[in-house]
Amino acid sequence: MSKKILIFFLLLFVATVGLIAGFWGVKKAKPQERNFTIEARQYAYSPERIVVNRGDKVTIKLSSKDVTHGFYLEGHDIDAKIRAQYPHFWLRHPSQSDEYEQVDEINFVAKKSGKFRYRCSITCGTFHPFMQGELIVEPNFLYPASVGLVIGLSFACLFYFYRKET
Amino acid sequence: MIDLFEKIPILKRIVTLRVFPYLIILPNIFFFYLLLFAGLFGTPVGNRNIIVVFVWILWWAILIAVMVPFGSRIWCTMCPLPAIGEWLQRMTLTRVRPGETIRGFKGKFFGLNKPWPKRFQNIWLQNIGFLILACFSGFLVTRPIVSVIVLGGMIVISTILALIYRMRTFCMYLCPVSGFLGLYAMTAKIALRRKDPEVCKSHRGVECYLGSVKGYPCSWFQNVCTMTRNNYCGLCFECVKNCDAGNIALYWRPFCSDKEIKGYDETWKAFIMLGLAFVYSVNLLGPWGIFKDWVNFTESGKWLGFILLSLAIVLLCVAVLPGIYWLFIYWAKKLSGNKEVSLKNLFIKYSYCLVPFGLLAWIAFSVPLIMINGSYIISVISDPFGWGWNIFGTANFSWKPFFPNWVPYIQIPLLLMGLFYSIKSTYEIGQNIFSDNKQLVRSLIPITIFLGAVTLVFLRLYVG
Repeated sequence: MSKKILIFFLLLFVATVGLIAGFWGVKKAKPQERNFTIEARQYAYSPERIVVNRGDKVTIKLSSKDVTHGFYLEGHDIDAKIRAQYPHFWLRHPSQSDEYEQVDEINFVAKKSGKFRYRCSITCGTFHPFMQGELIVEPNFLYPASVGLVIGLSFACLFYFYRKET
Repeated sequence: MIDLFEKIPILKRIVTLRVFPYLIILPNIFFFYLLLFAGLFGTPVGNRNIIVVFVWILWWAILIAVMVPFGSRIWCTMCPLPAIGEWLQRMTLTRVRPGETIRGFKGKFFGLNKPWPKRFQNIWLQNIGFLILACFSGFLVTRPIVSVIVLGGMIVISTILALIYRMRTFCMYLCPVSGFLGLYAMTAKIALRRKDPEVCKSHRGVECYLGSVKGYPCSWFQNVCTMTRNNYCGLCFECVKNCDAGNIALYWRPFCSDKEIKGYDETWKAFIMLGLAFVYSVNLLGPWGIFKDWVNFTESGKWLGFILLSLAIVLLCVAVLPGIYWLFIYWAKKLSGNKEVSLKNLFIKYSYCLVPFGLLAWIAFSVPLIMINGSYIISVISDPFGWGWNIFGTANFSWKPFFPNWVPYIQIPLLLMGLFYSIKSTYEIGQNIFSDNKQLVRSLIPITIFLGAVTLVFLRLYVG
């Protein structure tokens, strides 16, 4: 077998293992309503990680324990301003408007699966750039798929070198 | 390999100009002092101050993702930190002062010009320095004044040392940045090397190393005639100026061409860098408030947490990671079935497997830094000190992540590339250790499992 064909098949093998692992890691669950209350403080959110399933109706209430914080949710066009001591907060959709409107909760359907970080979008102190939390929307296909790619690549390398003569 | 000097002749003409390094050092110095000024007198809010945004977001990302893999130690060519010390030693910016201050070396130098103590002629002090800095990284990357203290301190130390010790002693043995630049420069696309060994053999002057009327001796104490690695070549190009035979090339070569780790100091540097890529990913990119409180102890008051975290960082880099790696090396030796290969030799030589992966892990770590916090660059350009200026009309540009959804799709291939290059390089190193391919591949199995496990840890942090 020529080197090029071997490399092609090994790459195919790596991609197949990645795909299989990705789909194998997928757990199906019925959509449901999920309610979360997230409290922001310098320089973290509590809870720091929330997990939902794709299709879930998600409701998030926000509050701040100390200073004014932001809540920018990647991939969901959501950016909120949370002031301390206020029962409500201010929300905007950056792709639509720069203006905030006062709300009591954020509602959205988790349509996209994956890992999305929520980050502070308003300078809240020295460690502000690193203030973040994680929303996991299952099935997080990318993670098991990447695990599969690592395993596939490792096997492919070993097999390739095993066949090679010194 | 392509000789860039042949391919782009103007490149050689530029680097052989006596004024060359200062063409880039001087603007860099001016800008660097502007950053120090901003750190001293600008706003204490890190993401509003140009020193924090430019050094720890922009410079860092360019250094680790572009300069090191493609330009080796090109940063050392333009580094402003040792420039004052070097100028004091030479007492001239461009001219070569004739004379002989250091026996055997051409050129007149000011200062004591002592040799650095032999027992410290390694990178252990750089390892220790970098580890100490890493424990305080939470302050370094968020407080402008801390950046001033550290960077300004490095200027003071390098200048004092330049007056006591000869040439670039500070850069070679003390600069904490230099240590990892040297290690990861092994992977770089470019390399300065002699062309024909026979030309060097027939030439007795060794001007490339000892200097001549055309150029200073190698400030990095490297003899390009025998140099086989990028680690300690600061790309000052004095050797190119000195070589009458034109026997020095700037090669464009495949990634990870230098593969020889030479001692425990370099091995531990690889452990420290990989360990810190993990630590920073947890502390800075993770969601865990408790670690941020510990790192940021002056504000949170959690001193005990800081001490515990610092101890954990040191333990991880100095003992835990090397210990785990040793177990896999021990397994590799046993599995190979070769009793003649020494464990120590395998431990040191195979530790190169941490270099390509470590570099790619650092690049993967830096991707969100630039894509998420890069928009601060746009606002601080207009208001570098946080004084309310609006020079280019972008001061009010609000924070906006650039394509945050793409970040994992960039990080995963980077980590996979690191894994691939690490396995491939280990195999190529093994070819010089094992004569039997089956023994070699058997020895590779534990290393591949080790590297795969490390990759999974990073994937868990980034996409899990």
